[in-house]
Amino acid sequence: MKGARQATVVGVGYSSVHREIGVDTRPLVVDACLGALHDAGLTTSQIDAVFEYPGAGSQIAVNVQRLLGIPDLRAFGDLGGSGPSGLAAAMAAVAAVESGVCDVALVFRSVNREWGQQSGRTEVPPAGNAAQFTLPYGDFGGIIPSIGMKKYRRLAELGGSEEDYGHITLNARQWSAMYERGVLTQPLTMDDYLSSRFIAEPLRLLDCDYPVTGACAAIITTAERARDLAGAAVTVDSVAFGTGSRPDWTFSDDFVFGGTIGCAQHLWATSSVTPAEVDVAELYDGFTHITISWVEALGLCGIGEFGDWVDGGKRIGPGGALPLNTNGGQLASGRLHGLSFLTEAVQQLRGDCGPRQVPGARVAVVANAHGPQCGAMVLTRT
Amino acid sequence: MSARFVPVPTPETGTYWEKAAEGELWLPRCDSCGRAVFYPRSFCPHCHGDDLTWFRASGRGVVESFIINHNPAPGYEQDAPYVIALIMLEEGVRLTTNLLGVEQTPDAVRIGLPVEVVFEQRDGIALPQFRVITGDGASG
Repeated sequence: MKGARQATVVGVGYSSVHREIGVDTRPLVVDACLGALHDAGLTTSQIDAVFEYPGAGSQIAVNVQRLLGIPDLRAFGDLGGSGPSGLAAAMAAVAAVESGVCDVALVFRSVNREWGQQSGRTEVPPAGNAAQFTLPYGDFGGIIPSIGMKKYRRLAELGGSEEDYGHITLNARQWSAMYERGVLTQPLTMDDYLSSRFIAEPLRLLDCDYPVTGACAAIITTAERARDLAGAAVTVDSVAFGTGSRPDWTFSDDFVFGGTIGCAQHLWATSSVTPAEVDVAELYDGFTHITISWVEALGLCGIGEFGDWVDGGKRIGPGGALPLNTNGGQLASGRLHGLSFLTEAVQQLRGDCGPRQVPGARVAVVANAHGPQCGAMVLTRT
Repeated sequence: MSARFVPVPTPETGTYWEKAAEGELWLPRCDSCGRAVFYPRSFCPHCHGDDLTWFRASGRGVVESFIINHNPAPGYEQDAPYVIALIMLEEGVRLTTNLLGVEQTPDAVRIGLPVEVVFEQRDGIALPQFRVITGDGASG
């Protein structure tokens, strides 16, 4: 329907990933971006837009323009703070490309591993503004206490068991073992999960993704331009943001699902396919609660039905009916903060995934973040 | 061991802390739509009404959810693991608290437990805290 300007992903790229601290992200983001350009068969001078999601120690769009020597930009943006994680950059690129603001957009996420307890906080902030109602109670972890509370609330409202959460983590390790960029590749048992230490009980260490320093990138252009390029193109079928009402990590009206349900409704309303047609799902796993929320919100199973649906992990694992997080996600292949779910979906639809390839994958769904920051995308290849 | 955080009142929250010092929990309520507002702010987040009137809240609610925090914040090193709970007040607003007078274990703390406000004195501030209601008045 969008015709010649239909947004299309034509290249993806990755840097190496690192656990040590103090690693300069500049060479990493250059590696990822050049990898995506090479994959697409493009040169730096053909890029006319750069979008990214910034964070502490990461590189902003014009830094990367300078590092790569891109002559000029018709569009750029640093979409951090409140957007749908790394996918926000790709979502902005889709809108810019389809509207005609630009033709060839580079999107990336460069992540600098946060060091230390409580999301890298090293200084004690004053308990002012909204924090005067949380910090005095020892609520010092930002999203971590909130996600722990959502896990308990979900179990109380919808039932299920801790094993439901464990299946997300165990599944990630099955896939990372087949991924050349896998970081945590040792298999885990449910006992390993259930005995992993609590961070914010019921939130366990193995509910949390694995912090790394690294970068990944993608190139988004029009269907018309994609036809002239060597690589296999993947169509961005639909895109949706979501916030839920009264968006907030703690005070939103839907405490358990946040904006995921509304986001999914918008996504399918503008998609050419249905949830039943999804071949592979790449759903944010910064915390396992987020992944389960998306599975249900997207209608891959009914609300509250994840535990039965996941079938002991068989449904989402290699050879299962709905392979999930086929590069090990952030739980097992490192926190590249959202964009790596898009790049993996693109590779799956192109058939580039070697031992972890989902046979015949033609429809992928990608989702990022939770609460007030939701974003999702359907990708297709005909 | 470092000190626990002490709230830093802001212009919109002054009344909350002044009333807490008198041993009472007060909230702003919107004159236009009648809904209670938390945290205190200068206009109603529901209907954008500019006129908010402070009232004394019941101080009662139920546990909406909670965690048992194993990574202590400054000042809580000796108390970990400790409960951070979200309370749904009878007035329909959520607020954060610790849970006093109860074992800090998942067996002792449950979603839905009835709670009531008490006040902890900390460095010249009275901090609203909640404790589980037991005996008469408890819904089990």
